[in-house]
Amino acid sequence: MLNKLKKFYFIVPISVFIILWQFISISGLINIALFPPPTKVFSAFIELLNSGELLLHINSSMWRVLAGLAIGSIFGIIFGLLTGRIKFIDESLSPLFHIFRSFPPVAIIPLVIAWFGIGETAKLFSISFAVFFPVWINSHIGASSISVYYFRAASTLTKSISKKFLKVILPASLPFIIAGIRTGIAIAFIMIFVSELAGSSNGIGYLISVSHLAYRIDKMIVGLLLLGFFGALTDCIFVRLIKRSFPWIEKM
Amino acid sequence: MDRKNVNNLIVKNLCVKYNGNSILKNLNLAVKSGEFVAIVGQSGCGKTTLLNAIAGFIRFKGNIEKPQKIGLVFQNYAAFPWMSVKNNISFGLNGNKEKINYYLKMIGLKDKQNYYPYELSGGQIQRIALARTLASNPDLVLMDEPYGALDANTRDKMQKWLLDIWQKERKTILFVTHSIEEAIFLSDRILMLKDKKIRKEYKIRFKRPRNKNIKFDGGFIQLRKRISKYIN
Repeated sequence: MLNKLKKFYFIVPISVFIILWQFISISGLINIALFPPPTKVFSAFIELLNSGELLLHINSSMWRVLAGLAIGSIFGIIFGLLTGRIKFIDESLSPLFHIFRSFPPVAIIPLVIAWFGIGETAKLFSISFAVFFPVWINSHIGASSISVYYFRAASTLTKSISKKFLKVILPASLPFIIAGIRTGIAIAFIMIFVSELAGSSNGIGYLISVSHLAYRIDKMIVGLLLLGFFGALTDCIFVRLIKRSFPWIEKM
Repeated sequence: MDRKNVNNLIVKNLCVKYNGNSILKNLNLAVKSGEFVAIVGQSGCGKTTLLNAIAGFIRFKGNIEKPQKIGLVFQNYAAFPWMSVKNNISFGLNGNKEKINYYLKMIGLKDKQNYYPYELSGGQIQRIALARTLASNPDLVLMDEPYGALDANTRDKMQKWLLDIWQKERKTILFVTHSIEEAIFLSDRILMLKDKKIRKEYKIRFKRPRNKNIKFDGGFIQLRKRISKYIN
């Protein structure tokens, strides 16, 4: 019974946070127009939901996040495994990647808009670019730190390089790759906000942007909370899927 | 030389250096096809280095004639943790179901074929490692202290199990161990690695198939003492 209850402990700090927020907001300590209480934010949420606007924004943002995350992760994993295992590729590509990795991802937005405009391509490129580097560096570290014994065992059992990559290097690097993708998820949600803020006609970032112009702080908070909620949900679903698909991963 | 015809292992004047330090120097040894040979020596004497040189994993000077297909079994990292028992065994095979089933039965894990190594005991994991190696049909099996991490009871069982498998398969085995008792019980010959070379050889004359009771035989105990005295 107690163990089942433990799963819901997270509700306690959330409830305390909402109560404190409500209390501070209505206490008059801060201007209520700048700091609307949760009840007002909830009303704004219902208003957006009923108008159908909210689902449209969520749908647009989530599609962009997931597509950008997938593209950035696939390339990050492929290049990470290659630079992690093949010295020649590591020596030629890693310095370039390290330079690009040092760019603040949001700094590329103006350039991306200049290149691709404000369409979907620009947003997908920005998110994929930002996701690529944490996934690449983690995959690289994972692939380069695999025990030599696994390779030695594999090399006596098969001569196929693709088999070694797919059945030894990839799964052995998986704990690091997963850590990289989880960092990528957080970065993807930063990038979706920034890229929709910079130019879009829908999406959660756009919702926050237009609410700001209309001085609807309640709607801005709805947008922010949605970004937080969907970011946490994506990470939670990802972790659950990983645990179910690769039950051995925590025992490595 | 046509390497396909090489069935025996012959090592001549093997020299291995690591960071400028000589680990093995002018080492010679020969293992006949179908023989079970143990290598015994103190920790750090170069036993694992010798196996690595034979397997071709490290640079060396000298000459090694060896069979083309070599299998390896280690103490750690024995089975791939991300593969089920069945997938571990089938890794070196190309979907030969008959062979996979044969080895699953041989190691007694047919009913646990979909289990992952973390769900199994140390002894079971070592059985997977040996089955995976044997399934790829090597001409020579190199075993590097495979039972070093097992408790005494499991180790005894695994030794008996290995002997039974060896009786059936008759693979050439080069078995590195620091346990003198294990070396006497399992092998046909014991090679003593000391001061960078094989310094001495003991022929084990106990009849096969062997029973664990020979460990209490006077000859067994005396031989163990002699080898132990030589090492120390």
